[in-house]
Amino acid sequence: MEQGGEGLKNFQFGKWIGFRVVSFGVAALLCFLLDRILQGDNQSYTRFLVSLAGIYVTLAVSLNLINGITGQFSIGHAAFYQIGAYTGAVLAGGMFAKLATSQPLLWLVLAAIFGAITAGISGFIVGLPSLRLRGDYLAVVTLGIGEIVNIIAKNQKALGEAYGLAANKIESVFLVSLLAVICIAVSRNLLKTAHGLAFLAVREDEIASSAMGVNVTKIKVTAFVLGSAFAGAAGALYAHTKGFVSPPDFSMDVSFLILTMVVLGGTGSITGSVLAAVVLFIIPEKMRDLKPVMMGAPIGVAIGIIVGVALLKKIQDNYHGPALKRFGMNVGSIAIGIVMAKLMATLLVKIPALQHMINGASFRMPALAVTLVVLMLLRPQGVFAHHEFSWSWVQKLLGRKSVPETEVAA
Amino acid sequence: MAEVRRQLHSRSNQIVIHLAHLPLAALDFTTLPQQLVNGLFLGSIYALIALGYTMVYGVLKLINFAHGEVFMLGSYGALFTSWMLGFGPGGNAAQGSIFTLALMLLGAMLMSGTAGFIIERFAYRPIRNHPRIASLITAIGLSLLLQYGGQAFLLDGKKQAITSKVSPYNDDIILNLRKPNTEKLHEAQALQPEVDAAKAAFDAQLPFEKSQFELSPKGDALSTALANVKEKQSNLMTAANASAVSLRLPKGKLIMLTTTIILMIALWYLVMKTKMGRAMRAVSVDFNASSLMGINLNTVITFTFILGSVLAGAGAMMYSTFQSAPIDPFSGMAPGVKAFVAAVLGGIGNIPGAVLGAIIMGIAENLVSWSGYSSYRDAIAFVILIGVLLFRPGGLLGSSKVEKV
Repeated sequence: MEQGGEGLKNFQFGKWIGFRVVSFGVAALLCFLLDRILQGDNQSYTRFLVSLAGIYVTLAVSLNLINGITGQFSIGHAAFYQIGAYTGAVLAGGMFAKLATSQPLLWLVLAAIFGAITAGISGFIVGLPSLRLRGDYLAVVTLGIGEIVNIIAKNQKALGEAYGLAANKIESVFLVSLLAVICIAVSRNLLKTAHGLAFLAVREDEIASSAMGVNVTKIKVTAFVLGSAFAGAAGALYAHTKGFVSPPDFSMDVSFLILTMVVLGGTGSITGSVLAAVVLFIIPEKMRDLKPVMMGAPIGVAIGIIVGVALLKKIQDNYHGPALKRFGMNVGSIAIGIVMAKLMATLLVKIPALQHMINGASFRMPALAVTLVVLMLLRPQGVFAHHEFSWSWVQKLLGRKSVPETEVAA
Repeated sequence: MAEVRRQLHSRSNQIVIHLAHLPLAALDFTTLPQQLVNGLFLGSIYALIALGYTMVYGVLKLINFAHGEVFMLGSYGALFTSWMLGFGPGGNAAQGSIFTLALMLLGAMLMSGTAGFIIERFAYRPIRNHPRIASLITAIGLSLLLQYGGQAFLLDGKKQAITSKVSPYNDDIILNLRKPNTEKLHEAQALQPEVDAAKAAFDAQLPFEKSQFELSPKGDALSTALANVKEKQSNLMTAANASAVSLRLPKGKLIMLTTTIILMIALWYLVMKTKMGRAMRAVSVDFNASSLMGINLNTVITFTFILGSVLAGAGAMMYSTFQSAPIDPFSGMAPGVKAFVAAVLGGIGNIPGAVLGAIIMGIAENLVSWSGYSSYRDAIAFVILIGVLLFRPGGLLGSSKVEKV
């Protein structure tokens, strides 16, 4: 950390608080501008997409806090998202019905807070006993909790059973993007302080960090509660953005989608999570519009992907020469993969047995799954690995300044 | 909108009532033995799947999340074999024979064994030396790929079923554990002439009536008399059968149980008495040391994967044929999860434990349905899992040593 010793010596509180206020003000202003741009009836679909992207950014960053930064492998994040969403919907329909109709924006803030509180409490309840488990077992238990929450919601009359619950439709891009910004800010600032180092220490080696005096239990529970509280807030906003919640919105697939975002971006990298969340949300949305294709085409593309990945994997394992040549070889194998995919797709559709038509939109989830598998084969640490976006990195990229690479826990 | 809100408000009060009103008083204990036997049948299938989880975990310390999908491919293997034998849509094959069933079993085993081999060779082997989380994520990715890819390619993801004609053993063996009340049964049988007389009288009147629903006063009286005497008889029958306990043992499920037991004995022989089995046990004790002792790790791991997948395929064929479970690309998920829970419950890596855990799971699931909470039957697996992991992380038969780092 560059700010370590030197930063503390000439630390000025006034400058620090001023910088914080200004940067937060700028962020809020940007969110407000985004909200202004997306006003109007002809923008309603874009507005909905941007809101959902903001919600997914919050979800991915909050899961990253649990998975990437603290190193607890939780794959049931949709459970907390669902708890927050149902809290928002139930309260808006019940006790706060009047507030939700008369003061929608105030209610939206309150709903996010209530969602965060209930999800945080459930995160505490889940996190405390689950601490006895590690790795695979914790993953399975969190997966199970996601399913249990969903099954309970499906069977409770008060929660609308399989049909779901109606909530007041209140759209606010401003609040959704502000929540995402707050979530990013909290995670980032956590990482820049001594507390954050404790989180990273737990990720790297639990036993060693506890020997160094880190309260492992406290750190893990804090991460779980923080992560689930943000997911709950996102859920409450989702319920009001969509105006309706039902159990399939929070199925296992949603958990896996959020997990894919975290893993793709790089476990531990907030920048990576944000970018992956936006990309992985938009691509499947766009894939909904795909036209039907003949069965041979996707098989050809699959063959192309396999060839490309096999070549890349070979280069990665066996080639240790100059970086430029290696880069060229990588680009070359990707090109071979693409050519192969095109060639096989055109050849295979000529075979009568493979001319059966398939709806292109049904490749949304397979594409996600292929991304996960290919990523694990080629770069298990994710695209950004543990790196973060920083201004000094940009300056270095532009050749302005040579600074040591800032990196969280290399 | 106001209407919706009022409904929601009243719903939030119902949640308390729903939980407080446990229908445990309504349990019917005469059907309990039947439920236990059904649980045993279901558990034997889960055992076959759980063995795959447990063996793979034993040698590789990897939870193979894609095992449920291997199971799903096994049921497709059985389905396609049955189609090739002429039981497909539009086919007009006669009743199947034991030979049909054996061929389907082989087809399912072949398909899932191949799937297991491919998954191990091309997805797990390249990342064997990466952190375990990487292989876990790969497993999740593979499972999603097989589910949703299957939805696109395998018959457009439509639900299929293996026709009941493939099995010549569709009848049941009925065991009467406790006889019905004979006195009341005789009384009910004694009413039969009266019932016949009332029916004859009504049938004789019927041609003079306008229709069944618009009866004249005379027809109405006869109809009421018939209904009364029929009700009296059925009440007597119900009273007679109230204390009766009988067991239905479908012949198909008995075949299933026998096959499972034979496969398990074969597995026990393979693991305990052969050279490959000894190698597998050595690898599960110490991965690195066994490779230093001249064991070819790749061969052993591939063999274990294929063995586990073949057992899952056998389970899949029997699940879809004798339990008449529908087949679709997502049908492997629920049995896969339950079998995984069974493996953890018995102590993962422990072969007898997996069988015990699977039978407990099968029975637990049937008991949940029996006690009137059938919509929660998929949740019970996870509840048991969390309970086991929190209070006895090593499982019932496993070592209680908690995993370090």
